[in-house]
Amino acid sequence: MSPAPMLDVRDLVIRYRAGLFAPRPKPAVNGASFRLEKGETLGIVGESGSGKTSLLRAILRLLPVESGTVRLDGQDWLALQGDALRGARQKIGVVSQNPFLSLSPRLTIAEIVAEPLLAAGARQGPALREKIAALVADCGLTADFLDRRAREISGGQAQRVAIARALALEPGLLILDEPTSALDVSVQAQILNLLADLKESRGLSMLFVTHNLKVVAHISDTLLVMRRGDVIEFGRTEAVIAAPAEAYTRDLLSFGRKAAAG
Amino acid sequence: MPLLDISDLCVRIPTPEGEVHAVRAVSLRIERGEIHGVIGESGCGKTMTGMATLGLAPKGARIEAARFHFDGADLREQAKALRGKRIGMIAQDPAAALNPVLSIARQMDDVIRAHRTLPREARRREAADLLAATGLPDPGRVLKSYPHQLSGGMQQRVVIAQALATGADFLIADEPTTALDVSVGAQVLALLRKLVAERGLTVLMITHDMDVIAEACDRATVLYAGRSVETGPVEAVLQKPGHPYTRALLAALPDAAPHGARLAAIEGSIPPPRTRIAGCAFAPRCPKAMPVCAAEPPPERARDRHTWLCHLPEDAA
Repeated sequence: MSPAPMLDVRDLVIRYRAGLFAPRPKPAVNGASFRLEKGETLGIVGESGSGKTSLLRAILRLLPVESGTVRLDGQDWLALQGDALRGARQKIGVVSQNPFLSLSPRLTIAEIVAEPLLAAGARQGPALREKIAALVADCGLTADFLDRRAREISGGQAQRVAIARALALEPGLLILDEPTSALDVSVQAQILNLLADLKESRGLSMLFVTHNLKVVAHISDTLLVMRRGDVIEFGRTEAVIAAPAEAYTRDLLSFGRKAAAG
Repeated sequence: MPLLDISDLCVRIPTPEGEVHAVRAVSLRIERGEIHGVIGESGCGKTMTGMATLGLAPKGARIEAARFHFDGADLREQAKALRGKRIGMIAQDPAAALNPVLSIARQMDDVIRAHRTLPREARRREAADLLAATGLPDPGRVLKSYPHQLSGGMQQRVVIAQALATGADFLIADEPTTALDVSVGAQVLALLRKLVAERGLTVLMITHDMDVIAEACDRATVLYAGRSVETGPVEAVLQKPGHPYTRALLAALPDAAPHGARLAAIEGSIPPPRTRIAGCAFAPRCPKAMPVCAAEPPPERARDRHTWLCHLPEDAA
């Protein structure tokens, strides 16, 4: 039997309650099922209101689930409570869209990357400092960044810091929510290359959420397309791109530049 | 004669740390009836070029140019008079462009009343007609709505209707689809194309997105570090780019490389806006840079109506 997938989601339903006596609204996520194998990247694409953010928040246990199961690394993830949940959460690292909103402008880069380590019980000292320097170096920043503050660095550099912080507790799963949408094209390419390197060197599994199908089609092994709460495509990226089953996916793929002839 | 004719525009903004070169040397020639894309990354001067054209450069900014004309009028003197009459603006975030506490009817009426003397009923009809022209299915209901009751795509259509209400024939659209979903953005771009064809508008489209350029524009100008480095028909610029920067930008796109392969990121970063640049601004990052590139301004190369600034001869590029 193959090893347990990093993430195994079955028939997940998420519904927001409008009010005590209001009629039940349509679910925000309507029976989503998918797997993310270890060491792979799953791309989730969808427009506003498609349910991709609800799905993400449920996987982060920030939102109650109506029905369905989520298994993280073989564990019944939705059953965990209290300290057990807090401990297990270290298996997931998160990088959000806007690095300047997710990094405190008052702290130095070293303090920002140290936060998750200190929260998990690490002690201040040369060993911690060394670990932080190594994390930041893995994300392509030199040691002289450690004493700078988030407001003094560029968007691409800030996103590298956010990735270093997400990796501090050595999670198996990295969740990236529109990580390159706020960046320029040339910087986006640098960050996508960095993510590919980290996936390779650390055996990371990644969940990459975006509305940009071209970005996600490049980086993911499997692809999931959502629309109005439904999963309308799920499969190997090459297969989805080569033969999209839904007109919506075809529309997303055909927007803009056509592939150069020949 | 081009409708918008800009040659060697330079915008310098004083700051306590010294002058910032927001725009160093931008040339733009936009013919009537065309959608002209201005593309570049953060800090390239694309938004400041638009703002200077609208007469909205920051206080104290020094604007110099060999030519800076709109339909024969000198924009250095008349930009403010032309804004809102001949030149309109479509902003990036429609939610920020609309007033959240006023109904759409009131906000449309404000614009129409400022530009024309019409009785109230006629203004109301005009507002409904303009909303219908932007493809909103139920103008009556939209007029009664407040911005938060409309989707992003509908809000952007209202903003476009307001720009039309001024009677402007030249629109500056600054990232008009960046805040929208891809499928909604595609509809808004299709609407702009339709309005340009039907109403004889001309559009300057500022964007960082090559797909928006391909989808909507007839011609495009590429900016780098405050300079226009390449201009031409969209197919030529995207399919056979002349300038090494344009080529590097296209190569860095995720769909330019095979699935999962490394992307061709551009090494280094843009020159700081306070430095003086003697030669080609892209030379420090250019894979094909020669000694002359850092020292002397690059000459213009041309292939039909497609031009770019580069020391490399065309066939060696």
